[in-house]
Amino acid sequence: MILHFYPSSPQEIMTQFNDKELLKLTKLARISCTKEEQASLLEKLTRILSYIEQLNELDTAETQPCNHILPTVHSVLRDDLITECLSREEFLQNSPSHVGGMIRVPPVLNKENP
Amino acid sequence: MTFTASSHKNLFLSGKRSAEEMISAQFKRIEQHDPFIGAFLSTFPERALSQARALDQKRAQGKPLGSLAGIPIALKDNMHVRGEISSCASKFLANYKAPFDSTVARLIEEQDGIIIGKTNLDEFAMGSSTENSAFHTTKNPWNLECTPGGSSGGSAAAVSARLALLALGSDTGGSIRQPASFCGVVGFKPTYGRVSRYGLVAFGSSFDQIGPFAPSVEDAALIMETLATHCDKDSTSLPLKKEAFLSKLNRDSLKGKKIGVPRASISGLSAEIEQNFSDSLKLLEKLGAEIVTIDLSMLKYAIACYYILSTAEASTNLARFDGVRYGVRSSQATRLEEVYDLSREEGFGPEVKNRILLGTFVLSSGYKDAFYKKAQKVRTLFIEQFNRCFAQCDCIAMPTAPSTAFSLGAIHTPLEMYLQDIFTIPANLAGLPAINIPSGLSKEQKPFGLQLIAPVLHDAALLSYAYAFEQGLHLKQQIPSPFSEDLL
Repeated sequence: MILHFYPSSPQEIMTQFNDKELLKLTKLARISCTKEEQASLLEKLTRILSYIEQLNELDTAETQPCNHILPTVHSVLRDDLITECLSREEFLQNSPSHVGGMIRVPPVLNKENP
Repeated sequence: MTFTASSHKNLFLSGKRSAEEMISAQFKRIEQHDPFIGAFLSTFPERALSQARALDQKRAQGKPLGSLAGIPIALKDNMHVRGEISSCASKFLANYKAPFDSTVARLIEEQDGIIIGKTNLDEFAMGSSTENSAFHTTKNPWNLECTPGGSSGGSAAAVSARLALLALGSDTGGSIRQPASFCGVVGFKPTYGRVSRYGLVAFGSSFDQIGPFAPSVEDAALIMETLATHCDKDSTSLPLKKEAFLSKLNRDSLKGKKIGVPRASISGLSAEIEQNFSDSLKLLEKLGAEIVTIDLSMLKYAIACYYILSTAEASTNLARFDGVRYGVRSSQATRLEEVYDLSREEGFGPEVKNRILLGTFVLSSGYKDAFYKKAQKVRTLFIEQFNRCFAQCDCIAMPTAPSTAFSLGAIHTPLEMYLQDIFTIPANLAGLPAINIPSGLSKEQKPFGLQLIAPVLHDAALLSYAYAFEQGLHLKQQIPSPFSEDLL
């Protein structure tokens, strides 16, 4: 299959995207990565970033950012009334661990890794 | 004879068959054929048959029946059906049972539609081939070595092989239309906000829309009459009531209409797609439309713009999957932070991680202006260009996809996969209604699809144009042979 839309040469990457940046991202996104995954992710993300930088070709100095696609849709609030809600039992059915009606999680700090 | 949702419903209403009998036969079909296709992740025979029996009683008692009476309908596994698993084709949610019904599920059941199961998808709706499912790969019923497209590949394949007679998908960048094209079925993405997203697991909230896969445009219009209505629980739901789509279907609706074709932006197609698209345009002209050339030069920036905005939204939407309240929690976690890090590391597939990280990057300090805000401005440019186009035409025609269904495993890199959505993404950027209509079969017996796009809220007109095209084309073979032989 021939792809006719792929740039023939990658644009120069404005941003320096490297291992350090990737590690920072994995911390922000709370996704840990194995070393093998890191190399593959770095390569994939670099190529994608290179591709999306073509938006810099467009002059948007006078353009408003699009926050709502349809101009008629804006913040919608309902009346502050009590309506039906999920019961505690129903909610806890999906929880990985619970005790006394509460979600249970491991400690924030532990002895080995305070 | 084509096996359609409408013909199924009429057969039930005629009294010649019971709903229980028909739904039972449907599950036998699934049992027989789905091992080869893999459209479904789960089926609900007990629940569905119980509803079918209740429907039979309702009919026997002379009570009024809903507009979807007895029709077997499948839902993509990112839409909640209370008490059933909504896995989003992810290990993370493999054991997650929906505690409430999505609005679309509730609306379907209110109209006596019978939900028969949940279909396969790319994990969290991220993909264009359904190969990113954590569970299994779905095959294209037209060619079992090819993908059904994605991300709603399971729903597309189910309708294609008539394992369901209607199915719902979600379309964020083309995930209804592209698999509809690959599987030779009608796939409709409504105007943004026309169908409630309550109970749809969010991917890109300003892009996602639920829509139907159907054997015919009439069937798509039928279910849209149920789905398209305001929902109090979705803050982006348009303040509009239900609308009559069926009665507005008109074979002559293309007469005197102008169809815009962005010729300069869709050059470089493969020869067979080019030929089929050209044939489709000739048919549109024969049906009374005038083809005009329009400028959609922004098209080349669609993928870049979309992959910044949708991944940014996805990184936020998927932050809730932290292993705390629901989903699979890592057994290795000894501290709270590890609950987040390890559960997400173990639970998410590679493409989901790609997109979350990309989305996190474009929103992060120092880069947000250059990427996210820039893309938001480019989105405005898209909307403005579409407005200029629609000043010159009533709807826009393009091929739905740059190729027919590709082989499983053929596409290796994420970027190559993203390029599959080049023609479908623009409608999501601007919130426009868009539809895929089957437009023929290639020499290899793989479906082609024509895409029509209309202005915002012109859903009824778009369905009517699609109906006129479909009736004018009158495709001879609509169901892949191995799955049509046993149909009545």
